Formats: sequence, structure tokens, C-alpha cells
Amino acid sequence: MLLLDVIQAGGGFILIEDTVQCSGRGLLRCFINAALKRGEDVHVLGFESPETEVCAGLDSSCVQRLHFHKGFPDPLGWTRRSSFTVERFASQHITQLIKDTQHAKAAVLVADSLSMVLRHHDPVVFCQTLQELRQGGVIKTIIGLLHSDLHQQGIVGIVCHLASTVISVAPADNERHSVAKTTRRTKSGKVMQEEEYFSVSEDATLSVQAKPRQPGHAQKERDVSEADPTSNLTFNLRLSEEERKAKQKVALPFVFSQEKKSALLKPTPGSGRIVYEPDANDDFDEEDPDDDLDV
Amino acid sequence: MFPELNSILNSTPDSFKSSDFILVSDRRADASFLIHHHLSFYLRGLDHNVSGQGVSLAQAREKGQLVFLEGLKNSIGVILQEDTSQETQPLSYLRTPGAGLEGLFRFVERSVRQSGDGDAGESWGPPVLLIDDLSVLLSLGVSVGAILDFTLYCQATVCSELQGNMVILVRCEEEDADDDEEGSNLLRRGLVHQCNLALHVEGLPTGYCRDIHGQMEVWWRQGEETIYNQRKIFHFKVHDKGASFFARGTSSAVL
Repeated sequence: MLLLDVIQAGGGFILIEDTVQCSGRGLLRCFINAALKRGEDVHVLGFESPETEVCAGLDSSCVQRLHFHKGFPDPLGWTRRSSFTVERFASQHITQLIKDTQHAKAAVLVADSLSMVLRHHDPVVFCQTLQELRQGGVIKTIIGLLHSDLHQQGIVGIVCHLASTVISVAPADNERHSVAKTTRRTKSGKVMQEEEYFSVSEDATLSVQAKPRQPGHAQKERDVSEADPTSNLTFNLRLSEEERKAKQKVALPFVFSQEKKSALLKPTPGSGRIVYEPDANDDFDEEDPDDDLDV
Repeated sequence: MFPELNSILNSTPDSFKSSDFILVSDRRADASFLIHHHLSFYLRGLDHNVSGQGVSLAQAREKGQLVFLEGLKNSIGVILQEDTSQETQPLSYLRTPGAGLEGLFRFVERSVRQSGDGDAGESWGPPVLLIDDLSVLLSLGVSVGAILDFTLYCQATVCSELQGNMVILVRCEEEDADDDEEGSNLLRRGLVHQCNLALHVEGLPTGYCRDIHGQMEVWWRQGEETIYNQRKIFHFKVHDKGASFFARGTSSAVL
């Protein structure tokens, strides 16, 4: 269960990719909850959604370890009511923010969302910031939500490349579950991939099921009783016994049968012969090179 | 106001879900009839003395219930630099290319905060913001990112803070394979991410029809409690007195 392993272990840069078809914010809540339960300090940069939505259902006993830095409702500083604007997404500001609000323990940084940051920062600078944060030593885990259908493919590719784990969410056939495709790269270079069904409960816990190999299997069994298609027609599609026998006897044109083979391979008298006189340099082999053909 | 649409969306002028961001979009069809529905829906919710079919927009404007910003009409003045009065501050982004829509947002914010006070000190209740239509800003040269920032701020103020509702119309062009960078489809995707309910109007995939004018997809997106993500498609027909909605295959022409 790769998704459960990732959520319980933490560490590295975990990217949650979503689209309009399926939102990844529920999964983000599960990650926050899991980190809080592990006793880690979680810093959320909330640019896109209110605190009530991002932190809905989180374990109330751990809430004092959660620090929600209010970007929303003023992520760009237009009304001067936010404590952390998108513009301040830089390694020195974030590191300072974390050092100001906690003791020296490895922190978890959650960004909701990275799409908002990418809209206002140069992609190269953004990548540099992420690298600096990862190597800074103050932050143990970075978890970011990215709306992959709002950016060019190249930009999405760059961010995925930086991540140690990428989780893409998509809708599943039934409404209660969604599908998560997890790709995890370890430091040794090994890549693990898995596709799983998951659902998020109201108290931000994740339940995961492995994806069945043949999702269409259940549907196939329902079509057992099919009507006979050759009945009730105005023309005849059936064969009588003689017709069936005659059909079996027809020699297909390009299939080798015994008669055709002997006719082709036996030399007939009077037909051309090949006379070959080998030179001194020739390597003449008496064996028939076609002997091992299974014709 | 269309009663059938009310029952599909499970809302009435007297009891509707507040803090909702409703996105109305269309592609090769005209969804402005849905804007008219919402306009009369919310005005009816304000004034229970409205009788019969009609809601008088002129009266509503006089009472202060309805505030208009004539974007297109005023924008010509701004571009030609004739009118630099206070009235055209919201459209100042037209003169500075690359600027954001902060000025427009300030106008919206002022209007919705003022709308709480009516003529005789009556409170009209939570504000409703209707935008018809947002894709015009794209053709005026504003970037998709700036428009999405503007709608995020409107949602934060109107929906989250003032518990009001917001209805935005976006017109989309044909889906194009390399149209991912800019354009109305990118704008629509960004808005769908933000909204609570998306109504998308398109022509029938099989072509024109006299009795069915198109199909409307209703997409219930996330609320605060659960992640809905339920989608349904209905057919509709627009006529003089309104529009009728029905499940696919149940048009009166067919049955």
C-alpha cells in the first residue's frame, strides 16, 4: 500500500496533483492530519482556500501544533489583511516564519496551493526556492497541492521532477472513491509506482483499497445470457449439415497443405536443373541448408 | 426565474444556499438566459412583494438593490483617455497593460459592502455579485492569472466574508489541442476549481434541433462538508416566458 506508506512516513517533497475532475484537497487534509498525529509541527501556507476548508475535520487534540498562515482571503496583499502573501514565498521568509513560531524541531510545510505561487513567481526562481527549503535543514517535509490542468505541461513536469513523491488524483467509476497514482523515488534511485482507490472520511482519515486488476470483470458477468443473433431475421445466417461439411473441405489459398507441399518440393522430371561447379575458393557444403525448415 | 431549474438545483428564492460561487459557462451556445434566471431569482428573494412574472430592474436599481457597472460602455472612454473621473477608476487596468484587476476589485468591494444599507435603513441581506461576462476581460488583454486572482478576491469577500453568493458567466471557445497556455478554456478550468456549482451550456452533440435548444451540465463541486463531485446532464428549451428543463430523452417532442 504505497499511498499509506507515503502518508505515514513523510519526508521529502510530496506533490499532490489534481485536476477539475477530482480535487486533491481532501488528500492534503489527510497528510496534515497524519503529520499532526506523528507529533510534528505543521505550517500551512493557505493562499487559495479558507482555514475552515483546509483544516476541516482535523484531530482537535493536535491542533496546537498546526500553524495556519493566513494568505486567504488576501493572498496578494490588496486589502492588507494577510499575514503571509504569495510574494513572500521565498526560502528566507519561510525559514524565518518557521523559526519564529516554534522550537527547533523538523517542521512540515504545506502549500495550498503551489498553483497560486507559480502564477506569481518565475518557475526557475520557484524551483530554486524549493531546493533551498529542502536543503535548509529546518523543514523535514514539504507537501504541495498543484492543479496540473492550470499550467503548461512543461511547468508541471519540472515540479514533478523536483518531487520525491508525486500523487495524481483522478475520479473513479464510483462516486465515493477516487483513484490515486503514486510514484515514489527513493534516494537510491529506485522508483515505485502504484494505483490505488482511496476515500477521505470526515475526520480526515484515509482509507485505501488496491485497484482491482480488471475493473470491467464485474460488468462482464452480467452479460451471460445473450440472445441468439441469428434468429428472427429476414435472411438466413445458419448452416445446414452439408453446407458445414463443404465449408470444412475448402482448401484455403495461402495455407500449406500436404498436397501443395509435395507438389512444390518434388522436382519434376525434365524441368530445369542447377549445375554448380565450385571454385577452388568456394566452401561447398553438401548438406541441404533448408533441411531444418518445418514446412 | 425558471421553476424547473430551481427544483433541479434544489433552491428557492426564500431558501437558497449562501456563500455559493456559481459558474455559468457556455461553448457555441448562449447561456445568458441562466444569468437572467439568477438575476430574477435573487431579486425575488429580496422583495417578496413582487407579483406575477416580472421583476422590475429599473425599480430595483432605484431602490439601491441593484448596482450596475457598464463595463463595455465605459471602457471606450478609458481607452480614449477622455474620462478620467472617479467613475472609471475600476477600468484603469485598460490603460496599464500587465496590471492586475485590483482597481476593479475595489469597486466591487465598495459596492457590496455598501449594499447592506437600503433606502429607509433596510438591510437587503447578504450581497449577490453577478458578472456578465468575464471572458470579455480576456479579449481586452487581461491575463488569465489576473482574472483568476480577481475572482478569488471576489469569492473571499462576497462568499466567505459576507456570506453572499456570486454568479459568473464565462464564454468558451472551441477546445484546441495547443490552446492550453492562455484562453477561455484555461480560465474556465481555473474557475471550476474555485466554484461550488458549475452550469455548462452547450449545443447538442448531434446537431441543431427545433425542440431542444441544447444541453446543460450541472456539476456540484466541493462544499465545506463533503466532496460532492456529482454531474448530471439535462436538455433545455428556451421560450418567451422562460425555459424548460428535462432529463435527456424526455423532450415532449420525443415522447
